[in-house]
Amino acid sequence: MKNILTIMSKEFTRFFTDKRMVIATILPAVIIYFVYSFMGTMMTGRFTADEDHTPWVYSVNTPSFFTQFNINTVLIEANEIDTVKERILKGEVDLLVIFPENFDALVDAYDVRLTPDKPAPNIEMFFNSTAANSNMAFYTVTAMLDAYEATLSNKFDINRGIENPDLASIEEVSANIIAMMMPMLLMIFLYSGCMGLALESITGEKERGTLATLLVSPLKRRELAVGKILSIAVLAFLSGSLTAIATILSLPNLMGGIETNIYSVVDYILLAIIILTVLLLMVSLLSIISAFARTIKEAGQATMPLMVLIMLVGVSGMIGGGTQAETIYFIVPLYSSVKSMSGIFALDYSPINIALSAISTTIYAGICGYVLTKMFDSEKIMFSR
Amino acid sequence: MKVILKTENLCKTFKLSAKQQKLQNTKKKTITAVDNLTFEAYEGEIYGLLGPNGAGKTTTLRILATLIKADSGEAIVDGASVTKEPDIVRSKIGFLTSELKLEDFFTPNYLYDFFAKIHHIDPEVSKVRKKELFEKFGIDEFAEVKVANLSTGMKQKASLVISIVHNPNIIIFDEPTNGLDVLTARVVTDFLADLRNQGKTIIVSTHIFSLVERLCDRAGIIIDGKMIANDTLENLTAEKPLEDVFFDLYAATVGEAEKIGGTL
Repeated sequence: MKNILTIMSKEFTRFFTDKRMVIATILPAVIIYFVYSFMGTMMTGRFTADEDHTPWVYSVNTPSFFTQFNINTVLIEANEIDTVKERILKGEVDLLVIFPENFDALVDAYDVRLTPDKPAPNIEMFFNSTAANSNMAFYTVTAMLDAYEATLSNKFDINRGIENPDLASIEEVSANIIAMMMPMLLMIFLYSGCMGLALESITGEKERGTLATLLVSPLKRRELAVGKILSIAVLAFLSGSLTAIATILSLPNLMGGIETNIYSVVDYILLAIIILTVLLLMVSLLSIISAFARTIKEAGQATMPLMVLIMLVGVSGMIGGGTQAETIYFIVPLYSSVKSMSGIFALDYSPINIALSAISTTIYAGICGYVLTKMFDSEKIMFSR
Repeated sequence: MKVILKTENLCKTFKLSAKQQKLQNTKKKTITAVDNLTFEAYEGEIYGLLGPNGAGKTTTLRILATLIKADSGEAIVDGASVTKEPDIVRSKIGFLTSELKLEDFFTPNYLYDFFAKIHHIDPEVSKVRKKELFEKFGIDEFAEVKVANLSTGMKQKASLVISIVHNPNIIIFDEPTNGLDVLTARVVTDFLADLRNQGKTIIVSTHIFSLVERLCDRAGIIIDGKMIANDTLENLTAEKPLEDVFFDLYAATVGEAEKIGGTL
């Protein structure tokens, strides 16, 4: 035990006294926060029209009801259509609406029940989807015309007088969105956090011949394996947590209307347990690959399939619900952790399944740790050239 | 005199890859590095393993240090078996070879303390010993400089000191003066003699005759993994210088004396 702590203390000293390593760990979190927030602001700005902007609509053959809408309507003649289309592209006009001649009379005369084969009177509308105001004008006017059409032949209404028919609370909606995104992001953040550390700490030391120096000391191979795995897992937990916190903090900026302050301390503790166990598994898997590899470059290539696997498993978390799934899923390595994270984020989980996932993942990590111990003892693996 | 280190019929073969077979123009799938090697080292002596490159010296020492396992045979180091109690063996020896490196990122001072902890040395005892050894080798001048920034000689000195943090009774040294300038080499050989005077046992491997003649009490000559001669230096060099003894033995063993120049 004492030796494990000595190894861990050395690994921590190596990490925390190396400014580059510390910065490389903190930087992703900072970048993610700012990039996500920036992306959110940009996207909102890009797709939201000015709130106080009244659409400029040019219309041909304008019927009288249309001029009563709360929009700036400019009446034009049919020969001006091409010019107006160009002005829409330039952003000077938001929308062009072309009514058929005698629109009101045509509408009055039309009855779908009497002449089902005859098409209804048609209104043509032209807009520019890349300009927020034009886009907005198109949808506003479409909605106004739909509403007008509905008043002409009102048979029934939907949700009259109900302000918010969505029964799900803002918390539930937010939890669902977070549960879809976060498990995959977390798996990727955690993996990238421990990949560099594992490669450096095991293949790096092997490549530079410093691991051999440890192997001739009276350290037990088991102590060396456990010390390495634990210290990498703790450091990756720190970096992964930082990145996860940055992501959660930036989510409201990225996607407006999301409430992130919806989790209890218990939720966070369970999440931390799941993260720690899956980290132990990831680190021990990476350590095995790192111990096999002769150079860091080789190890980097050898870890690619594991990265793909982890990303795919992460994406699978977006499909399917929380932890109210079959218990058997909660003993599948990696997948069980993603399911547990989804469940915790969705506020819809069974504690037994979470416990099962944590325990089974720890057992798998233990098995990998045992394999690593054996590998440290194998001269073929440790001293192969 | 008490036998403190003993090997009995140590054997070690390595597999040859297809590429290596081609390079060496052989169809043999394995190469024998150590072939039934038996020798003893007594307490308080310097024992030298002398042989050309590829004779199996380093392999033997790596088996003794428990870095690799023998295919058959046994070695007992101060009562502990290298096959059954490798952890105990490692705590009893100081092993130094050029393939064991110190981490570039740390300073000699930090690494000394780290390995002292791994060996469970009392911090006070370790502090006194560190001061003594650092002064002796002049490491105190660069104790706080990262290993990456040290010269080869400085690194070798730091490695030497760190390999004996636990004041072992048996020191195994693979090619102790390889790659060192004459000054540092002298410091190292003087230190080995010093350790012997303190009653320590030292096993060195080398291909340098003068080093064996100057330093060793007894020596074993290894050729192609086999122990060809094993005696006190007095007996070995009773009739002619060690170099001549070696070449005669080599010619008799390999049978192609003209190749000697190329192998040594």
